[in-house]
Amino acid sequence: MSRLKRLAPPAAGIAVLLLVWYLVCRMEIFNAYVLPSPGKVLDSFQKMLLSGEIFQDISISMARVLRGFFIAFVLAFVLGMMRAVFPAAGPYFEYLVQFFRNVPPLSLIPLLILWCGIGETTKTAIIVLASFFPMYLNIVKGFTGCDRKLLEVGEMFDYSRRELFFRIVLPYASADILVGMRIGLGYSWRAIIGAEMVAASTGLGHMILFAQQMSRTDKVIVGILVIGAVGCVTDRLFGLAIRKLLKGNYENGWN
Amino acid sequence: MAGIEIINLEKSYQVENRKLPVLTGINLRIPERQITVVLGKSGCGKTTLLRLTGGLETADSGEIRYEGSHRTAFVFQEPRLMPWLNVKQNILFGLRGKEKKESGARADEIIRTVGLSGFEQAYPAQLSGGMKQRTALARALAYRPSFIMMDEPFAALDHFTREQMQRELLRVQKTEHCSILFVTHSIDEALLLGNKIVVIEKGKVKKEHVLEETGERNLLDEKFIGLKREIISDLNETEKQ
Repeated sequence: MSRLKRLAPPAAGIAVLLLVWYLVCRMEIFNAYVLPSPGKVLDSFQKMLLSGEIFQDISISMARVLRGFFIAFVLAFVLGMMRAVFPAAGPYFEYLVQFFRNVPPLSLIPLLILWCGIGETTKTAIIVLASFFPMYLNIVKGFTGCDRKLLEVGEMFDYSRRELFFRIVLPYASADILVGMRIGLGYSWRAIIGAEMVAASTGLGHMILFAQQMSRTDKVIVGILVIGAVGCVTDRLFGLAIRKLLKGNYENGWN
Repeated sequence: MAGIEIINLEKSYQVENRKLPVLTGINLRIPERQITVVLGKSGCGKTTLLRLTGGLETADSGEIRYEGSHRTAFVFQEPRLMPWLNVKQNILFGLRGKEKKESGARADEIIRTVGLSGFEQAYPAQLSGGMKQRTALARALAYRPSFIMMDEPFAALDHFTREQMQRELLRVQKTEHCSILFVTHSIDEALLLGNKIVVIEKGKVKKEHVLEETGERNLLDEKFIGLKREIISDLNETEKQ
């Protein structure tokens, strides 16, 4: 009963949207090319599922996201940790990081294509650029924001610097690190679609652009729905993992 | 006899280019296996005295002489528990390696003593204020300190929880025979807990009272009312000057 109660409002929201979509198509307010009917979209979706092409695009895009995301995470973690372990090192790279944070990764695409071609390197670089900054900022917040009062508890027990780091600073930062990773993953996913629409011959972004050129608006909509769904699912999985890891605590930090 | 001897302790802080003296020559003896209460108004330097004695800060001049083994644990005004650890893990937080492995039975005993049996697996976010503070007390006890430094540990608790915690502290102190240096601004709390009450005013020891009574104290006794009156007039006197 409670499960039904919880699921009913979101289901109703989706049903209303589908109904409006269906009615608008039924009344032929727009040309079928501009807005294909839900039936038509479902039909193409089924065909793409059966032929397996959609899975191929999803897996290619996903692999790119994971590769870029992993590299960005390692970079962000190392630099973020440096801020906590060697505070004096911060000023050397902090301003550079802040500068590049304000440059949208997509604006770097022309340069990246020139330097790295249109192969995988360019796409990986774009994902790294898109997901590095949100992760870096959260990781820095986690590492440098460690509660002085908790550190004092370690000091009173005569903890060494190493023990302070591994038993207080790192666990304290873990909440922010995980939240940063969740946000970073979302950014990676958005960036890859952009990158694939500009320079790629595979992946979901490319699939959408190609469908547009072939005047297959139904396939474009299928692509959009799939991107949204895959994004929601990965975010949800990550959220569940966070809740499991930060047992019974808060989702956005310890305070 | 092991205890702590404080000799001519001085400490000042630098606040916006001005030197702010906090302790101006404290001389004090803190006996072992007793509760010594440091009493004073806000800003009189009592917390600083406690932090210096516990080794969290260093003094400008003077000496703190520890007689015998020297291992201190703190119970702060806030519980300061690690939110990612459960009650049991928090209690064992001060122990390492071999100590930790061999702590099993004693840890259970301490958990029983502070009345947290059944909550070993709970996380701080799931505990009430009193329970968190009890966990912090248990963490200090588990460390087997020669001295426990307590900085207004019950100030943030409601009246009834505070009374209960004070009773528990007295009981624990008797069973564990630990030495406690307890800072408070509450005269009633000082009269209830202290074997020795040290009144601090403007960075100096104003007066020391030694209370012989053991067992439960009734603060409405003539003697305690008289002592309370004396302490209040001592504290007010300096204000008038």
